[in-house]
Amino acid sequence: MGRLVLKQLSRSFKNVTAVNNISLTVDDGDFLVLLGPSGCGKTTLLRMIAGLLEPTSGSLELDGLDITNAPSKKRDLAMVFQSYALYPHLSVAKNLAFPLSVRKTDKQLVKERVQQVAEMVEIGHLLDRKPKELSGGQRQRVAVARALVREPKAFLMDEPLSNLDAKLRTATRQELAGLHRRLGATFIYVTHDQVEAMTMATKIALLNGGQLEQLGTPEELYDKPASVFAAGFLGSPATNLIDAELSTSNGMVTVMAPSVEAVLWPGETPRRDAVLGIRPEHLSIHAPSSAAAAPNSGAALRGVVELSENLGSEQIIYCRVGENRVAVRASRSERWIDGSAVVLSADAGCLHLFDKASGRRLEWQPASVPAPVA
Amino acid sequence: MFIETPGPAAATAAGPAGRQARRAGSTRPSWKPYLYIAPAVILLLVWTYWPLGQTVNLSFYDWNLIPTKPKQFVDVQKYAKVLNLPELHQALLNTALYILAFLAISAALPLVFALLSRKVQGKARTVYQALIFVPFLITPVATSAIWRWLFAPEGGTIPAIAATLGSPMGNVFRDPNGSMLAVIVIVGWQMLGFGVLVVSAGLAGISPDYAAAASIDGASGSQITRRIIIPLLSPSLVFLCLMTILLSAQWTYPIIDLVTQGGPGNSSTNIYYLLYQFGFRNFDAGLSSAAGTLFFLGFGLVALVFVELSERLSFYDN
Repeated sequence: MGRLVLKQLSRSFKNVTAVNNISLTVDDGDFLVLLGPSGCGKTTLLRMIAGLLEPTSGSLELDGLDITNAPSKKRDLAMVFQSYALYPHLSVAKNLAFPLSVRKTDKQLVKERVQQVAEMVEIGHLLDRKPKELSGGQRQRVAVARALVREPKAFLMDEPLSNLDAKLRTATRQELAGLHRRLGATFIYVTHDQVEAMTMATKIALLNGGQLEQLGTPEELYDKPASVFAAGFLGSPATNLIDAELSTSNGMVTVMAPSVEAVLWPGETPRRDAVLGIRPEHLSIHAPSSAAAAPNSGAALRGVVELSENLGSEQIIYCRVGENRVAVRASRSERWIDGSAVVLSADAGCLHLFDKASGRRLEWQPASVPAPVA
Repeated sequence: MFIETPGPAAATAAGPAGRQARRAGSTRPSWKPYLYIAPAVILLLVWTYWPLGQTVNLSFYDWNLIPTKPKQFVDVQKYAKVLNLPELHQALLNTALYILAFLAISAALPLVFALLSRKVQGKARTVYQALIFVPFLITPVATSAIWRWLFAPEGGTIPAIAATLGSPMGNVFRDPNGSMLAVIVIVGWQMLGFGVLVVSAGLAGISPDYAAAASIDGASGSQITRRIIIPLLSPSLVFLCLMTILLSAQWTYPIIDLVTQGGPGNSSTNIYYLLYQFGFRNFDAGLSSAAGTLFFLGFGLVALVFVELSERLSFYDN
């Protein structure tokens, strides 16, 4: 079991609020990723869950038990640190045995368990070495094995892949996700890497400035970003965000901005300032003369090609549209000379709308009350 | 027909390789590096190795330090004599006792102080550590003066307190059973701060992640101290023990000279003070040099053991 409930958890350092009033529930077996830019409070939140930091206010429950004030050794959690924190004076075998031996577990049992987890993460041949004799990837495995050696209620991981090279990171990511599936245990994983979050999480908690910006599955976060921040953070290149105005024209809801017009759907709305978000992969690029350049519905953005980036498998074309620079994900077969005038189009269903003032997502309710709900 | 594409190395190799070859041709062994280390080497030679050589040389002669008096070669007689002197045996025993006492006061006690002072947070901690360290900065002469007053049989604070507790004290510096203890107290008071400083620096160098990891792994505070912190601190502790063993004879020297002159009856002397007496009170340069050479070899051996030990104990924290 490992069901963790955070209730209005806050933490301040002197005058700075690192974590502000966060409530969320991690169900048993969840792989929750705490995602956000540096300084968003994700590590502070994890350290409060681990019992390494006391919350300023709020409470924490693990399997129905209040652990807000319990010391970390009583919480029955395991943690992998960004630095791995392998005890440098102990061999790998003794590092792995440490969580068991401090609990005075029977020696024979400890030995068997150490052997078992060492084989699980394929470090059986390294048991006699000291941490300084291991490579980065091997240290990372030992750190994971030390967390696995007990059967804790939840695994906490603080950017465990950030010290690995790109290739090893991809491989280890897949192994960790596989490990989670096999164990069925609760994982809470801190990262600033959206790829790690998207690929491993069953649930992502997106944090910004100490606050919970959005909580949901990776699909929900990507397909329905709840705020301008969420839309801008997930996805690479980032979602194109354009300041625009919502209004009604000829019985249709429209979005207008300099060089941008979009006809959305039948309905009426009072004028309001909004932010239009379009992901680069939802835009297609056309010559102004082509038939596709004047769609009946959806968005049309008129602009000039500024720059193309070749990523090998595809290219990113950057266009100047009004005041904004808009990124378009395109096939390598598309060829556009810098400076050529183009029209970018996207389906109405792919457009994201946010309130300009609050930054929160606007959803259209086509029912009898045709008012956007924030 | 397939044509294998050439690697980029073939195309560009001529450039940098050619340049390197030219540079290699004009290279002569440079005298510059020696110039850079010359000041340090010259100072070491003039102030350490030259006198060391002279000491070894003098230990084979009989000479009373008067420049006009010729030195008389006596082979190893001085060594034979010094090894049989009862004063030397007393001084060696005293030195061993001093070392043991200072291992407790300036190595073990600082460990306790430094571990406890972790609980003090923020500015208070800096102030606390500074207070402990300040005695180290006071010159031995001032220290001796202060402690002489404190121990003064007439009106001194310590005898006054002892009297109210019902155990009157005489002049501790003239008491064969008390003089050594008094020197230990004074030097220990001065050196405690140095030990706390070394241990605190060692503690500051240990990543807090280890203690955090151990506490999540289920270790209690005392288990973390015993099984993680102290082992990780061992390079600092070895260094401190080495310093204590090698330097305690030097630390005590000025205090002995200022408060007891080794007495009464050699009860508080140590090897360096004895060596000084041989040379500059009895004017027997050969005897003093022979003793000095023997101590140099003895302490050299101790240092070798500790250097080897600290090599083995360094973990190179990643």
